This record gives sequence, structure tokens and C-alpha cells, in this order.
Amino acid sequence: MKPRTMWTVLSLLVVGAIALTGCGQALPTGPMTIRLWHQEGEADNAKQYVEALAAAYTAEHPNITFEVTNPGDTELLRQDFQTAALAGTPPDLLWTVNDHAGPFTTADIIVPVDDLVDLGLYADGALAAVDLNGQHWGVPITSGNHLMLYYNKDLVPTPPATTDDLLAMTDDLKAQGVTPLAYNQTEAFWLVPWLGGFGGAVFAEDGVTPTLNTPEMVATLAWLKQLKDEGIVPPESDYPGADTLFQEGKAAMIINGDWTLGAYKDLFGDKLGVARIPTVSATGKPPAPYTSGKYFMVPAGLDEDTQAVVVDFIKFATNQANQLDMVSLLARLPALKTALEDASITADPYLAGSADQMVAGVGMPAVVEMRCNWDAMKPEMLAVLSGDKTPEDAAAAMQSAAEACLLTLE
Amino acid sequence: MDRLLAQLLPSLTETLGTIVFIIVATALIELIVYLVIGRIFKSRHLLVWMLIAPAAVGLAILIVYPLLWELRLSLTNMSLRRFGDKAQYFWVVCAAGEAPKGLAWLTECLFKNYADVFRMPVLKQVMFLPVFLRTVAWTGVNVFFHVAGGMGLALLLNRPMRGRGVYRALLILPWAIPQVIAVLAWRGEFHYEYGYFNIILTQLGLAPVEWMSNPLANFTAMVATNVWLGVPFMMVILLGAMQSISGEYYEAAEIDGAGGYQQWRHITLPLIQPVLTPAIVLGTIWTFNNFNVPFFINQNELESSDILVTALYRAAFEYNRYGFAAAFAFVIFILLLAYVLIYIALTGTLKESTR
Repeated sequence: MKPRTMWTVLSLLVVGAIALTGCGQALPTGPMTIRLWHQEGEADNAKQYVEALAAAYTAEHPNITFEVTNPGDTELLRQDFQTAALAGTPPDLLWTVNDHAGPFTTADIIVPVDDLVDLGLYADGALAAVDLNGQHWGVPITSGNHLMLYYNKDLVPTPPATTDDLLAMTDDLKAQGVTPLAYNQTEAFWLVPWLGGFGGAVFAEDGVTPTLNTPEMVATLAWLKQLKDEGIVPPESDYPGADTLFQEGKAAMIINGDWTLGAYKDLFGDKLGVARIPTVSATGKPPAPYTSGKYFMVPAGLDEDTQAVVVDFIKFATNQANQLDMVSLLARLPALKTALEDASITADPYLAGSADQMVAGVGMPAVVEMRCNWDAMKPEMLAVLSGDKTPEDAAAAMQSAAEACLLTLE
Repeated sequence: MDRLLAQLLPSLTETLGTIVFIIVATALIELIVYLVIGRIFKSRHLLVWMLIAPAAVGLAILIVYPLLWELRLSLTNMSLRRFGDKAQYFWVVCAAGEAPKGLAWLTECLFKNYADVFRMPVLKQVMFLPVFLRTVAWTGVNVFFHVAGGMGLALLLNRPMRGRGVYRALLILPWAIPQVIAVLAWRGEFHYEYGYFNIILTQLGLAPVEWMSNPLANFTAMVATNVWLGVPFMMVILLGAMQSISGEYYEAAEIDGAGGYQQWRHITLPLIQPVLTPAIVLGTIWTFNNFNVPFFINQNELESSDILVTALYRAAFEYNRYGFAAAFAFVIFILLLAYVLIYIALTGTLKESTR
């Protein structure tokens, strides 16, 4: 490129950048590196998508480069961010799940976004999941993040509508040498939908008092144990294990999140079915998976320039064009209202199915007390599955662990 | 090429900056030591002081300072709600309210975190003592197998044979693989559906084992992995010691009619003792403090597989009990210190070398 042309392009870019930010603060023109932490995996292309977004922004603003890092997984992102914030070297921007807002606001290490972007542009359901103490602590990127039932149409022509249907069809599948259902048995995130189906919830009405030692929890744990004992689910299965079984056609159905819809669509094509998790026959209630989404969270203590760039990047990443891009690449539901109404979503059977399950979901609590519930549920759920504890004992232990944890928060 | 350089340059300048800083700081330290010790005190040991100074300063910054910081942290109530600057000393809290008197003041105010280590669950359900006993069992079993396996292999290798170098290289291979990678590979082998062990078991007509959710099976998996990782170290150390034993002893023993076991018992074992003892002490401490194996093999975070250090990690970084975890860390530190002191006193190991 000749120098003159380059100057023209550069000045156009600068003018464009100023026009884009509108009346907001002008972006710094000096070189700058933004450290972005996210928790997206490689398998469903989401990691690549985050990196591509950052690269696209750099293409428009050559002085701004990104250091895009995944600390390992969602849990590690939370731990590492807390540690980094304590050490005074937090990253400049987070791409993460809503319930991190609880610990992060409690520790005062992120800032509210109400004054940074126009939140009116985003779907209310997505915003509700980061609404704490009357302020919003994240800018939504996606809606949903909910679990649903995927099925392989070769093996299961019609998905089970109720748990009785599910139990009725399993012998046939087992006779074919196929595991009827797979799911990640190591995380309580997969327990929560069933708890809703049995009519329970992890918190009382006030949203902060744990209610884990309930008949509904006992019924849920007993149901999970029954699934395992009757060979409906694999005896032992973590996330990649369940995922592989389904992908290889060795499991007929899987309960997995909306984040993997894109990958399954690519793999199965027409053979993929998406449905709600079967209604619990004993109660007649549909399971209620947690809904939230992915969010940008802004760490506390950023200098003015960095914050201006970060906010501009957030607006860029969630503009109409990029949101629709994300829908087509990752098959996740967008958070921008105008994007949600786009025909590419309403006309797509998979995305429509995903949206249908989302309606049955409940917003995932973002309060810090939820951490205590997660930490209390996981070991006890595993103890029931391995036969070390009865559902009754486990539910009681969950409650006492959650209560002890609440004390340690103080 | 340009792109690569552009990516490398920032990290290179960062590294270079650090190196320059270290050089300048070292020079500065030497200058100060020279002026103070050499010029003001005119010490005869100036060179000694100057040689020790940089290392001493480094240790002070990297070890002593964090230790003091940790001690301070262990006396505070730092948690998520009292994060960073919001953390307070317990005694401040107690002084403000109605402070209990006497012993209760110690356990409820000053050393509350230390008292909590012994009277509250260190994780969700499990108390300190079971975790401690499990750690001792874990250490004992591992070190036993490390020494036994290492000794056996070293004895096999410590004789003339063809391809000894090849065997030795193969046997120390586990040591050459980064530990985390090796452990994650092993965890894959314990997978219920796709793991090596369950496939073998099913082929043999046995029932597959739930390595990740059954507490005993998970503990066994941990021990198996760590034995595999630890044997090469012992083998290398013991083989080195055995090779330094002069062949004349064995010849003399053979003339006297001593058998293989007697030779091992009365020649090999006593002569490798000076090497064996520190190797066992080190192995014990490493195993006691081994984080990678128990943490990564225990994918389901079973509390029944946690040893002290992994429980400590969970208390601090998963459950955010920072003040408590600092106290917990000191308790573990004191236990290890006591072990080392007792061991040294009993065996008199260090007396030889310091004479």
C-alpha cells in the first residue's frame, strides 16, 4: 500500500471509529492490548469464534490487539480471575456465565454495566440472570445456555414425552446394544432440571435460603440412581464421555446444553432431533433447566482508555451482524432483541426447539449463595450414584453443607 | 515470519526487561553489601557475604515474604464477602465487640481459623483427622512401592547384561513426561467406557470398575498412577548408589559363602543407606505434598480421595475460605516440619554430612 493511500485509509478508520462510538469517549489511538478471558471450548467452534471476533475488531482498529485466553474451563476462569484480581493483575474483559456475577460482585471485582451500554437493546430474560441488587453485572452475548434433549432419529423416531415413555422404550434400545440416555453425571447442573420436574427448587422464596433437604430432592436423587441402576444411563460418564457416546451413536439420546447444537447439527444433519427433557410422570411437571447465557463482565479498576475500548468491543461483538453470524456459526440463541426476531431463528426447527425448551426453564440464580448450593450438591449427588449414601442421607448432608458454607461466606 | 516476530516481540521484551532488572538489582545488592560489610564493618568474610547476598535476598522475597503474608492472612477473616482489603484481623473484630476471655479469646479471636481446622469440616463433609490419616496412608503406601519397585529394578539393572542402557532409558521414561500430562493420560485410561483397564477387565470377563465414582477404586487409581510416576526416581538414585559399591565386597562375600539375600542384606543395604535415607525423606515429602496425581485423577472431586494439599486447594480456591485455608496450610507445614525433625533426629542423617 502506498503511503498516501494508507493515510487515507487510516484517517477514514479514525473518522469511522469516532462515528461508531458516537457521542461517547473517543477511542485511544496508541497501541493497546486487551486481555480477554473466556471459557469457550474448541469442540463446538466457540473458542475459534471468540478469537475471530477479536481479530475482526483488530482489523477495524489496528492499534488494538487482543490476548484471548481460556484459563481452562468455567470453574478455572472463576478461580483464576479471583486470584488475579486479588493480585492486582486482572484481565481487561471476561466472557463467562451469569452465575459468576454472584462471587464477583460479592468480592467487588467487577463493575455494573448499566451506564456503559444501552441495556434496552437486549432480551429481558438474558438480563434478568445478571440482575443483582438492582444493577446489571454483565452484557448478554447469548440467551439460553439451557439443557435439552437431543436424540438420534435413527434410534429414537419419537422422543419420549414423559419419564414413563422413557422407561418403556429403554429395553428395546438396550437389546440393540445402545445406551438409551447419556448425560454428564459429574455436575449438579444436570440434576437441577429434574429437581424442577419433581417440583423442587434449590432456594426458598427469598432466593438465598437453601432448600436442599426436601422430599423433591430425595425423589430427584432416587430417580438419578434408578436411571443408573437400570442401565438407562452409562454407569459412569463425564461430559466428554457422554458426548462421545452420543456422537458415536452408542447412546440414543443425550441431555446436553444449547451450546452444542451447532456441533450436533453438523454431525447428524437431518438425523438430529431436539426436544424438551421428558416430563416427570410422577408429578406431571416438565423439568426446568437453568437458563442464562454468556455475558461480558467488566473487571473493576480498568483505566479510562481501556474501559472505553472494552465497551466499544462489547458493542461491536453484540451488534446485529455479529449476533446473526454467531447464530449461524454456533446455533446459539442471540441476546440482542432485534436478532432474536430475525427469520433465521424463527424458521429454524432446531433453534425453535431450543427456544421451546428455554421457555420451560428458570433463570439460573446469580447470587453468591448459589455457589454454596453447587458445592453442596455435587459430592452428595455423586455419593448417591456410587451407592455410598441413600438419597435421604445425601439430601440432609447437602443442606447441612450448604448452611455451613453460608457461614463461611460471612 | 513477520507475524511470528510480532507475536514473539512483546514476550521477548518482557523477558528481557525482567532479566535486566535482575542483573541491575543483583549489582545493586552487591554494591550495598560491599559498602556496608566491606567498608563500614571491614569484615574478613566480605566475599562470603557477597556470594550469599543475592540468594538470600531472592529467598527472602520468594519464600520468607509470602510466608509472613500467609501468616498474616491466617489471622484474618478473608472470604468472598471480605475480599482483599476488606479482610480484617479476627482480634480486631473481637476487640470491637464483646471479646471472650481467657482460652476462648485464643480460639475464638486470635487463632479462630486454626481452631476451625480441627473442629469444622475442612471440605464439605470431611473433617481434618480423616484427611490427615488418609494422607499418611497415601504417603506410606506410595513410598513403600516406590522404594520396593525402585530397589527391585535397580538390582536387576545393576549387573552386566546386554542392552542395559536401553532398559534404563525405557524405565526412566515416566520421569521425562511432564507430570500433569502423564496424569491426565492415566485418567483417560481409567475412563469407564474407553479406558484401557476396563477394556482389559471386560475382555477377561470381569466386571468393569467405576474408577471415578467408587471411593476405593479411585484411591487405587491414584496410587497406581503415582507408583508408576515415582518408581523411576528411586531406581535412578538407588542404581547410582549401588554402582558406587566396590565389587570387592561381593567377591569377598562370595568366598565366605554368602548367598544373594545375605549379600543384599549385609553389603548393599548398609552401603546405600546414606543415599536411601534422604531419598526416602524427599520421597515422603513429595508424596505427602503431591498435588497433581490426587487432584487430576479425582475427576469427580470425591472427598474420599482428597489428601491434605488438594483439600487445601479446594478450601482456598473452590470454596473461597482464604483465611481458613492459610491457617490450614500452616498446620500442614508444621506437620511436615515435625516429621522431618523427628526423622533427622532418629536417623542422624544430617550429622554425617555437616561434619
